[in-house]
Amino acid sequence: MAKRLRATCALAGVVMLMVSACGSSSTSPSAASVAPSAASVAPSTAASVAPSTAASVAPSTAASVAPSTAASGAPPAAAVPTVPTGYTELDKALGADTPFKGKTVSIQTQWVGGEGNNFAASVADFAKATGINIQIDSIGSSHETVLKTRIEGGKPPDLAMLAQPTPVLSYAAKGKVIDVATFMDPKKLSAEHPATIGLVTQGSNIWGIPYKADVKSTIWYPIKAFEAKGYKVPTTWDELITLSDKIVADGSNPWCVSAGGPGDATGWQLTDWVEEVVLKTKGPAYYNDWISHKVTFQDPGIKEALDKYVGKIFFTPNYVFGTNTAIVPQDQKTTMDPMFDGDLASPKCWMQKIPTWYGPDFFPDQRATSQPSKYIVGTDVGIFPFPTIDPAQKNVEGSADTLMMLVDRPEVRAVAEFFATPQGLQKWIEAGSAISTNTSTPADWYAGAYKLKVASDIVNTAAAIGFDASDLMPGKVGAGTFWTQMDQWANNGGTNTDAVLKAIDDSWPSN
Amino acid sequence: MAVAQTESPGLSRFVLPVAGLIGLGACVAGILVLYDPQGGPNLLASIYEALGNTSGAIDLRNGSGDQVIAKLLLAVIALVVGVGGIWLLFVCVGGLVGLLQPKWRDRILPWVFVGPALALLAVFLLYPAAGTILRSFQDDKGLFTLANFAVMIEPEFTQILRNNAIWLIVGTGASVVLGLIFAWLFDRVRRESLAKTLVFLPLAISLVGASVIWGFVYAWQPAGQPQIGLLNAVVVGLGGKPIPWLTTSPINILCEIVIMIWLQTGFAMVVFSAAIKGVSGEIIEAARLDGASERQIFVRVIVPMIRGSIVTVSTTIAIVTLKIFDIVYVTTGGRFNDDVVANRMFHEIFQFFEDGRGAALATLLFIAVLPVMYINLRNFRRQQVEG
Repeated sequence: MAKRLRATCALAGVVMLMVSACGSSSTSPSAASVAPSAASVAPSTAASVAPSTAASVAPSTAASVAPSTAASGAPPAAAVPTVPTGYTELDKALGADTPFKGKTVSIQTQWVGGEGNNFAASVADFAKATGINIQIDSIGSSHETVLKTRIEGGKPPDLAMLAQPTPVLSYAAKGKVIDVATFMDPKKLSAEHPATIGLVTQGSNIWGIPYKADVKSTIWYPIKAFEAKGYKVPTTWDELITLSDKIVADGSNPWCVSAGGPGDATGWQLTDWVEEVVLKTKGPAYYNDWISHKVTFQDPGIKEALDKYVGKIFFTPNYVFGTNTAIVPQDQKTTMDPMFDGDLASPKCWMQKIPTWYGPDFFPDQRATSQPSKYIVGTDVGIFPFPTIDPAQKNVEGSADTLMMLVDRPEVRAVAEFFATPQGLQKWIEAGSAISTNTSTPADWYAGAYKLKVASDIVNTAAAIGFDASDLMPGKVGAGTFWTQMDQWANNGGTNTDAVLKAIDDSWPSN
Repeated sequence: MAVAQTESPGLSRFVLPVAGLIGLGACVAGILVLYDPQGGPNLLASIYEALGNTSGAIDLRNGSGDQVIAKLLLAVIALVVGVGGIWLLFVCVGGLVGLLQPKWRDRILPWVFVGPALALLAVFLLYPAAGTILRSFQDDKGLFTLANFAVMIEPEFTQILRNNAIWLIVGTGASVVLGLIFAWLFDRVRRESLAKTLVFLPLAISLVGASVIWGFVYAWQPAGQPQIGLLNAVVVGLGGKPIPWLTTSPINILCEIVIMIWLQTGFAMVVFSAAIKGVSGEIIEAARLDGASERQIFVRVIVPMIRGSIVTVSTTIAIVTLKIFDIVYVTTGGRFNDDVVANRMFHEIFQFFEDGRGAALATLLFIAVLPVMYINLRNFRRQQVEG
């Protein structure tokens, strides 16, 4: 009897399963894909990570349930471009009938914490004005790993921000990236992003939209201690060395240097130093040939950059706090701590070369308490441009975040076009910590913030802007041997320059 | 099925199919909710609406509100659907097979129970493994090539292999020896379980967590700055100069191996402890009567008698050390002459975008682990025969 029952139950179950599967496939398309895709979703960590970290910043699909937000409309200072914007889908999205209302566009970024909040603020007004639900997946340090898994797993986010152009081109070569030139005016794009659009342009294809820029040719220093000692901000390499010698003579160490680690991202600061010097001694043409390996690392010009300039800073006795052996193990976060000795009045080291994204987040008091730092950038801690070496080579080093479009839908186009406008970064600029790659950005947005003013001055007086070379070299070199060999060079006190440069050249991929 | 036999036939005939149908319906509904990216918040919003909490529902639908509770709800659904669904599957398919003739039933029934596990293994283990091996012989365009295996003749690779060998020998050796000694010594202390718990506790910590903890132990600051790292604080306190433990080759490899020993010794100790307790007291007493010292008893009697456990533990830990990735990745990224195969594989794929070379390394690692697996399995089978 029991056996019969079991069988009946089983049969009923199977029939039910089949009926429900067939039934739902005819009524609801999403249910039909449940069975096959349930298996394909599971192995991808990205698919399960993304929703859990997703932060929705916009009034979502059920817009009708929130009459207050819908009715209030855009506040007067909304960071939204004015129609006509010059972009088709963006104009549509901002139209009175808000055709994309309720549509969701996902974007994956590496920005978390303060940067994440600034980015969310940058898109909030646009989301409100258009009714598009912009879902931000803030992944943090494993952003690129998760992104690769999502893209190759066939479930990419609609948009993604990348700090380097090289992966954008890699994905483009695999046919994963939408060419924005197919729906945006290439002339307008390159006119407004003259310094950066070339990094993601191949022939008539444009694989990304430059978004946020950073200036790397900056040196941070304690303003008041400089004044108290009568030190002048150096504008040439010779003045920089004179000042360094003076600080040594006064019984202190002029430089705080970290390789950028410890950990996986070590060495990038040392490559920044070399890139800076190459740009300022050899100029952009040579620099670009170096990136494409037409100029090898064993070229005299590169060797000179290491031995004559970077090595001078790193290996002159008493120049670097903790000596050259401290450079590699030095923790990026605590590098500048000795500068804050005695409330910045008696610094143990006086200068650090670090890009413009640096700031109070890294100051010791804010790091310890998570409260806003009492040290103000501009009055306590200052920034001066990296001095010129060859007066004929007034070039600076920079980097840029690029937006990559992975899925082509009208509402995704609209959001992508929004990021191409200055308003796409307005709130972040006004928060005082971002520079747009878009040259049509109104200058007064930067006016209030000391850091941005310094940065835009540096960019405006530059003859050419060189993009971070290691970011443009093949990953094996740019995030591999160039980093590790520079670490070894620093550890060895610069005695092995030839061996280090040869090792980098040897590791250059043959194909 | 015990239920069906004990209760009255009429009732179970009615209850079981209905319960099955309800269960299936619940499973399908649960999968639908899980599949929908907004499923959790929307479901919770509907519940809130049904309970009269309209504002809470609106918040949820707008992407704010009790998102954490929505996630918890999803977790509960996933658990119920996962476990309940598997149970239902077994009941249904088992019942179907029950309809067949006994001869066929006996042949098919074992596969019914092993089937789902085999299917999952095939999808999540065999398929990716085959894909990886295939990928290691392909270039970016999918054409056959052996170029990926050139990764093995690069000068850096000699060093990577050397590091893996150090991990294998020092890591496995130290864990096993320490585990053995602890098991033997703790066997005769009064608070045995407390001592064993203390050694065993680190095993509950993930490799990444342990690496972060030990990262603080090894932390370094330039001389003259306050040392936040335990080890360097001691060194400086004794008048020495701070040592950058994790960036100085080759001590960094040993520092990393210590983390793994800290984790794995507990595992080895627990297995050995159980094996030692299994050694008959009469044998040890006999050895004692023959005049053997305690050390002789340990080396000549106990160790040979628990040989099977030692092989099992050694091979298990050897596989962990061969595949070691987490500790290296978290502490140094393998950037300071301390790279290992698995970490290099990760770098090739996710930083250098060299998928083929990464796959070649994965294949190599797979082949390297195979003999160890074989020893482990053979030993396991022999133990079964003996047991």
